[in-house]
Amino acid sequence: MEQAIYGNEKQIKRKIFIRLAIVYALIIFFAIFIIIPFYWMLITAMKTLTQVESAPPILWLNPAEWQWVNFSGALEQAPFLRFTLNTVVVAIIATIGTVITTILSAFAFARLNFKGRDLLFMAFIATMMIPGEIFVITNYITVSRIGWVSLDQSYFEAILAMTVPFMTSIFFIFFLRQAFKTIPNELYYAAKVDGKTDWQYLWRVMVPIAIPTITTITILNAMNTWNAYIWPQLVTMQEDYRLVSNGLRNAFDDTAGRIMYHEQMAASIIVTVPLIIAFLLLKKYIMRGVSRSGIKG
Amino acid sequence: MEIKLKNLTKVFQSKKEEETVAVDNLDIVIPSGQLTGLLGPSGCGKSTTLYMISGLLRPTQGEIYFGDENVTPVPPEERGIGLVFQNYALYPHMTVRQNIMFPLENVKMDKQESLEKAQEIADLVGIGHLMNRKPKQLSGGQQQRVAIARALVKSPRVLLLDEPLSNLDARLRLQTREEIKRIQRDTGITTIFVTHDQEEAMSISDEIVVLREGVTQQVGRPQEVYNNPGNLFVAKFLGTPPINIFDGEVKDGRLMIGDADIAKKDIDDREVTIGIRPEGFKMVERSKFKAEVDLVETIGRDTTLIIKHPNDETQTFRAIVDADYGVEPGDTVKFNVKPHKMHIFDKETGEVL
Amino acid sequence: MLEDQSNVKAWFYLLPALILLGIFIFFPIFNAFFLVFVDEYNYMQGTYEGFTLINNFRYVVTDHNFRVAMTNTMLLTFVSVPVSVIIALLISVWLNAIKRLQGFFQTIFFLPYVTNAIAIGMAFAFMFHVRFGLINWFLGIFGISPINWVNTGASWGTAIFALLVYVTWLGLAFKIMVFLSGLQGIDKQYYDAARVDSASRSRVFRRITVPLLSPMIMYITVTSFIGAFKAYTEVIGMFGERLGPPGNDRAVITVVALVYRSLDRSGVPGALSEAAAASLILFGVTLVFTMVNMQVSKKRVHY
Repeated sequence: MEQAIYGNEKQIKRKIFIRLAIVYALIIFFAIFIIIPFYWMLITAMKTLTQVESAPPILWLNPAEWQWVNFSGALEQAPFLRFTLNTVVVAIIATIGTVITTILSAFAFARLNFKGRDLLFMAFIATMMIPGEIFVITNYITVSRIGWVSLDQSYFEAILAMTVPFMTSIFFIFFLRQAFKTIPNELYYAAKVDGKTDWQYLWRVMVPIAIPTITTITILNAMNTWNAYIWPQLVTMQEDYRLVSNGLRNAFDDTAGRIMYHEQMAASIIVTVPLIIAFLLLKKYIMRGVSRSGIKG
Repeated sequence: MEIKLKNLTKVFQSKKEEETVAVDNLDIVIPSGQLTGLLGPSGCGKSTTLYMISGLLRPTQGEIYFGDENVTPVPPEERGIGLVFQNYALYPHMTVRQNIMFPLENVKMDKQESLEKAQEIADLVGIGHLMNRKPKQLSGGQQQRVAIARALVKSPRVLLLDEPLSNLDARLRLQTREEIKRIQRDTGITTIFVTHDQEEAMSISDEIVVLREGVTQQVGRPQEVYNNPGNLFVAKFLGTPPINIFDGEVKDGRLMIGDADIAKKDIDDREVTIGIRPEGFKMVERSKFKAEVDLVETIGRDTTLIIKHPNDETQTFRAIVDADYGVEPGDTVKFNVKPHKMHIFDKETGEVL
Repeated sequence: MLEDQSNVKAWFYLLPALILLGIFIFFPIFNAFFLVFVDEYNYMQGTYEGFTLINNFRYVVTDHNFRVAMTNTMLLTFVSVPVSVIIALLISVWLNAIKRLQGFFQTIFFLPYVTNAIAIGMAFAFMFHVRFGLINWFLGIFGISPINWVNTGASWGTAIFALLVYVTWLGLAFKIMVFLSGLQGIDKQYYDAARVDSASRSRVFRRITVPLLSPMIMYITVTSFIGAFKAYTEVIGMFGERLGPPGNDRAVITVVALVYRSLDRSGVPGALSEAAAASLILFGVTLVFTMVNMQVSKKRVHY
């Protein structure tokens, strides 16, 4: 309902205006606080080395003077195209695996009756509270023992080590099960009457209905891969096999010598921009995931 | 507290600058100390009117008077009204007691005094034993009473109820509407409620206001309005089963449906619309007003005949007659019409003649 | 018929997920308890020299790095979580109160959610640069002489302060997203009802908005605590694998960083057991705080 306003019109309007102005001022203040690191990243990436290393810092650059050459400089520091390719490969494989295992088990939990279902589901949920570090130790042992992590690691082995442990997710199973649960039972009975098997019902009815949720799962999973740092750092033995986050950090560590901040920031932009574009285009789907989760990190 | 609405108008503006007139020049007086029903189909502006009286909506034009005081410029919190929302809007995190005491908290009433006051009101509406429950733990009817108690606790000048019974099941609805009537009578507070259910309005209101598309159709005591509808809309809207509509004409001072002479009517010759209440038919031996029975429904002491419509064979109309007539489907029945159960309207304007 | 138990079929659907979860989630949980109670574990051979109850824990706890890590982790958690929850709550309430440009500002406030913690961490590190950074320039306006926040020779205090600013910044977006969707889900009629009941603005906020939002606040607080206890990538983003300003290595190490450092020395017998001990200690701490959180909020949260 609209807010009805009363009293001396002029006075009230002024009061409301002032209150709104304060709210906007506060919002803008914090918005600037949020935006500054992005801006600083951008402006630094566009400077020459002399401009970067000037004090006081240069806060504004005419776009005509922007040093786009820094991007090619960044790409020379490390094979970012290679890292991007690796990341895309890992993201695709891990996401396909996750989506398939998630659909199958979400279906079992949402639709099928079997002994121990509730108990198993409880066990799943309980493990969501256990911090990932506990798994990482043993998983590192496991992939090493399998032979995926060794000094003469092949590209294929590196990809396996980075994808297989992440081909399922309890959170996504939970998330998709909730979506499946909202599909009315009548559809299932109708399909049964029409002689459809469970398998057909899953792929012809449930999956198409749950496409928005599956899309959300796909996007979040791909974003997680893009931001993954810890595990790939552990299990890749050659620089060439690394993902973007690792490549970015390793290429511009000061242990490697003096940091070229303009190129570091240019590389950061290369890593950041795809995420921002994805966010702007797919906000609706990302938000759907957020309303139910704390899965970042 | 008598409430006067003077030329009350509300125009809603959508984002695309389209204007919808929700309430159009409403000019009514709501009597003091009585229960008044604002009645009309959905979209007739009845809730908008209620919210303008509450102050939550501001009229585009016109004035609202509580007694002699013009409250149009007074914000809702200072109008001294109690408002019961359609879905009650009980604060889910507060107990019944906290809900009822919330309005008193805001006027900084003494703790002990407000506790007593809350208990007193809760007892009045019959929920005094539920004070420590949360709204979720109550039935729909109980929630309704908590909402009424919360509205009454600060002794408002006017009590407003928005569709008070629409969220209750049929059995509770009957019980609750009597309860509302009782509470209103006990407190003597001027009460306005909004409903789209004519039966509900008819059964408990001292006075009803029938609205249609933001315009008042008729105001009066329920039975009065039922017996003397001002126009075809009101006649059709009130009564279950609804009134039967026939095309007719006045010829040489006689009212005719087809070639059946129904009654005397001293007006110029013209085509008219005739409304006859289902209980307005009397079965007789000889009459030209006759038709074929399609179905017979007997419920208790009444028999409802569903009869093929003389104007149009594909339509039917209903007549309620005593159960002891042995009528079978396929029989042809003949009627006289009780004059006070029949209303004649202008075919064009729908105004009563 | 239709609702018959379909045991075999169900397990077939679950099989792929169960195999993966069995190997990579369930087994590791049990294995962590095995690792932590064996001595001199060699992971490639799978050999160990007997069992021990507390040796691995004792080793971790007496390690100087562990104490630093625990202090840092606690500090990060107990400063960044309350600060970011409160700021996020205020921003969401303000955002919810405006109409014009709401979508635009929403997008800005949501942006940090999708950023790469390494990339933006580097930007923060450069913002805090002693000579070329934005922060010291800004402080200079008020006549404050440059502070060495994160560069060579910087102290623990300035480094952890810079890290705190970054972690708080990074945590805001998700909280704002959750709070805002919670606020938008509150029925407007409660506010109309409160208005009719003459409740003042601040009373409406305290008595209606906050209680109705309490499930979100609770959810955010619990998950933020859990998340903050696990801080690591943020440190890497700002400080790299050195985990501190140059010359002050490992000054801002966290418990999780300690776990991963043990993994880097995985060839050393016993290193993985220490990692397991550290991770279990962290799990225990997390669990205790989660329980305390839930206990405290039980009385205050309305569901």
